[in-house]
Amino acid sequence: MRRLVILVLILLPFSGLFTSVPTFFFDDAIINTVIQVLVIVSLNVWLSIGTAWWLLFTETKWRTFIEWFLFLPLFIPALAGTFGMYIALARFGLVGTTIGVLIVLLVVTLPYSIRLAYNAMSVIGRPMFEQALFMPPLRRYRDVLFPLLSGTIQTIALMSTVIVLGQFVLIQLIGAGLISTVTTRLYQVYAGNDVALALQHTWLLILIPAVLYIAIGWGIRLGVKIVKGRL
Amino acid sequence: MSRVNVLLSMAVSLLPLTALVFLFRESVGADVWGLMQEETWRASLGVTLYVTLVSTLCSLVLGTLAARAVYVNGQNWLLRWLKWPLFVPHIASAYLFYLLFADGFPFGLIEANERHHLVVIVTYIWKEVPFVFLMVLGTYAQLNTGYRDMAKTLQLNPWRQFSVAEWPFLVKPLLDSFWILVAFISFAYEVPALLGVTFPKLLGVLAYDRLTTGLFLNESEAYAVALIWTLFLFGGVLLTYVLTAKHRRRIEKGVRR
Repeated sequence: MRRLVILVLILLPFSGLFTSVPTFFFDDAIINTVIQVLVIVSLNVWLSIGTAWWLLFTETKWRTFIEWFLFLPLFIPALAGTFGMYIALARFGLVGTTIGVLIVLLVVTLPYSIRLAYNAMSVIGRPMFEQALFMPPLRRYRDVLFPLLSGTIQTIALMSTVIVLGQFVLIQLIGAGLISTVTTRLYQVYAGNDVALALQHTWLLILIPAVLYIAIGWGIRLGVKIVKGRL
Repeated sequence: MSRVNVLLSMAVSLLPLTALVFLFRESVGADVWGLMQEETWRASLGVTLYVTLVSTLCSLVLGTLAARAVYVNGQNWLLRWLKWPLFVPHIASAYLFYLLFADGFPFGLIEANERHHLVVIVTYIWKEVPFVFLMVLGTYAQLNTGYRDMAKTLQLNPWRQFSVAEWPFLVKPLLDSFWILVAFISFAYEVPALLGVTFPKLLGVLAYDRLTTGLFLNESEAYAVALIWTLFLFGGVLLTYVLTAKHRRRIEKGVRR
């Protein structure tokens, strides 16, 4: 009985998705969104795993400082950071450009990804990774880090996708209203009170991370099979 | 290879920190004392503290209970179902809750956009419980069950068992989660803009509105509030980490004999 109540509490909000039939159309906001997600997810996975590896295995007196430095942005409210970066990027002419938006999206997602990778590596433990210490970097990634951290890669991809898709102010401010994504459209549609169109955007915002999560899961399983076949 | 990653990550982390310097430069000239006296900002600060603390504390308690249910009581089904809210971006969850509460829920009791911000709080709790769950899960996975067995053998009551065998290890992930959530919830736009009310607005909504209305004429005001709030959070983070430093070091490295 208690299990049923908890399941209802978790799943009830999804009922809103079925209140009316969503309309379907395709435009460049969807293409922009998918490109942003793919770029940010790839950068996050690559940078966070390498950084977490370094934090775990490098003996230097600077370690604590660097650790703090990398995790400090987690405690800066994203909106306050966005305000500041808006002023900074405006000076370099990056406001209103795709590059500017991508940089700021990377800034708000990377600390979370490093944290996830670092936590996962600490749970798996040093002994498992130490075997790979003397491998060349590419083989280390392919044969050890990739199979051991497959679940974490999936979680990092999911978290960064969801954070990217949740940004309205960031894209509106840094993109100077010139770059439209599914998220910025949702706000405009919501203001226009068109429930069917708003629902289509909401469906997209949930389906993009879900499809990416499943696709990465498949890709990883296939990749691990290939690696195992070679070893 | 990993050195390149660290250097790039540090360059990325440097950006929000330099952003604070830019915020400082641009907020020079703002009448901070005047801001504190202004009724709108004061009401906004009060409601922000209320929404942030209630949502954060509820998420921490529920997230920890869920992680505990998995590792202590073997409720593994939670692992599968608690992932679901993670797939929904905050803005989409705000819209889903808006639809759910639009005509009053349950039985017309609570409506979206009501002045106690209950729907904002519920939305945040629904979104953040799985996050806390993930943060605490790692700690439970590593926890030495011997401590709990010992506490049981000594016939301590369940609360004492938790406080001596689990709580000391949970301090670090819960402290991290607390500040991450406070920073996130207290100065955000998307969820409260959709589900909040016109007065009092939450800090993030008010700051963004002041920044973007009137051709950026009031921009230094919004920048000053963003900077002061960030520094206030930094102060809180620093204080709690200094106060718990000894305890956390003992848990991480053990007692030196």
